[in-house]
Amino acid sequence: MSRILRRIAVTALFFLTINPVLAAADASEESENPIDVIGKVQDHHYLDVAGYHLYLPRILFVEGSAIPYVYGSTESAVTSGNFEELPDHSLVSTMGNDIVLDMSITSHLMYFWFGIILTLWITIAMARKYKKGTGRETEPSGWFQNLFEITFVFIRDDIARTNISENKYKKFVPYLFAVFVSITFMNLFGLLPWGVTATADITVTGILAAFTFFITQWNGSKDHWEHVFWFPGVPGWLRIILTPIEILGLFTKPFALAVRLFANMLSGKIMIICILGLIFIFAEYFNPAFGLGSSVLVVPLTVALYVLKAFVGVLQAYIFTLLSAVFIGMASDEHQHEEGQIEAHA
Amino acid sequence: MGLLAAGIGAGIVAIGAGFGIGMIGKAAVESIARQPEASADIRGAMILTAALIEGVALIAAIVCILLVFFA
Repeated sequence: MSRILRRIAVTALFFLTINPVLAAADASEESENPIDVIGKVQDHHYLDVAGYHLYLPRILFVEGSAIPYVYGSTESAVTSGNFEELPDHSLVSTMGNDIVLDMSITSHLMYFWFGIILTLWITIAMARKYKKGTGRETEPSGWFQNLFEITFVFIRDDIARTNISENKYKKFVPYLFAVFVSITFMNLFGLLPWGVTATADITVTGILAAFTFFITQWNGSKDHWEHVFWFPGVPGWLRIILTPIEILGLFTKPFALAVRLFANMLSGKIMIICILGLIFIFAEYFNPAFGLGSSVLVVPLTVALYVLKAFVGVLQAYIFTLLSAVFIGMASDEHQHEEGQIEAHA
Repeated sequence: MGLLAAGIGAGIVAIGAGFGIGMIGKAAVESIARQPEASADIRGAMILTAALIEGVALIAAIVCILLVFFA
């Protein structure tokens, strides 16, 4: 029975795939480049489902009107006559006033939501299970709860407790866990067929880093702010230099956090597209047989890169969480030991 | 010209990042060999430092990507 089902699924997948591939082959003959690298990593106004486009709503705020214009897709926005599409796929208003805010739902946003919904579902389901007593009074049951518990204990003990002071770390475990799990999901979604890596977008990682930034500053201790504005133990004139540097340092930390995750995911994606695209480049510049022959070498290389990308996806989520914990720990630390040290030196 | 700049830039980034991460790896392997019981702590510190170097290298890599595709 399962074999028949599998065969039907494979056949359906084949027919679903073959048509878009043919369509893409037609489309690529028009453009000058054999592969469109940036188009693959860019944000789109549609979801790619099995090669077909599932259009997402456009929500546009136009100058002089508080109510947004809402359309089901870019096409219906154009057919309504209020907007027209430029060759670079951006919309302009035909009513003579500019679009001030484009709140359209995009593919990256959808995958961001998928990651968050999965995280919410896992945590709520597990919290319900723990409330019932499974895992607290008895042993955790099932592979799912065991996996959850391993991840959670890892975040709590190896990331939060080692970097944030003992009496404060509990407050930050939920945030760190949510960030770790949702970034892992968002990174790994990019490996699925037709999937989009939401974290290969600087706005997504920027928002995540902004959360860390605000949590860090909100929980900053007196010592943290003293270090920023009135660095202890240095001559007064040096503070003129030190204070701007410290204030700058507050912002560079989350900036580096955002760019690190973004660049890792983007470069991984571009690397896979470029190496897989070698087949099409060879086929275009030499002849199709050459492209077919190079695929013997290129496809195993891509498989190896995929494995590497799966590892990097989890590793980058770990690094993001670890650095968030380090920054929070640094800011919320109350240097009680410091006076003792100075006395010991004196 | 943008392509040339991106190529040279990517090469220099690779030299710098490779040198830095190589140094970290060397130090980490040496310290694990000296104190195998502390390998978990050393590995954590190694990943953290490598991530900090990687961040700088990737900012440069992004500049190269921007040069290739948008310059």
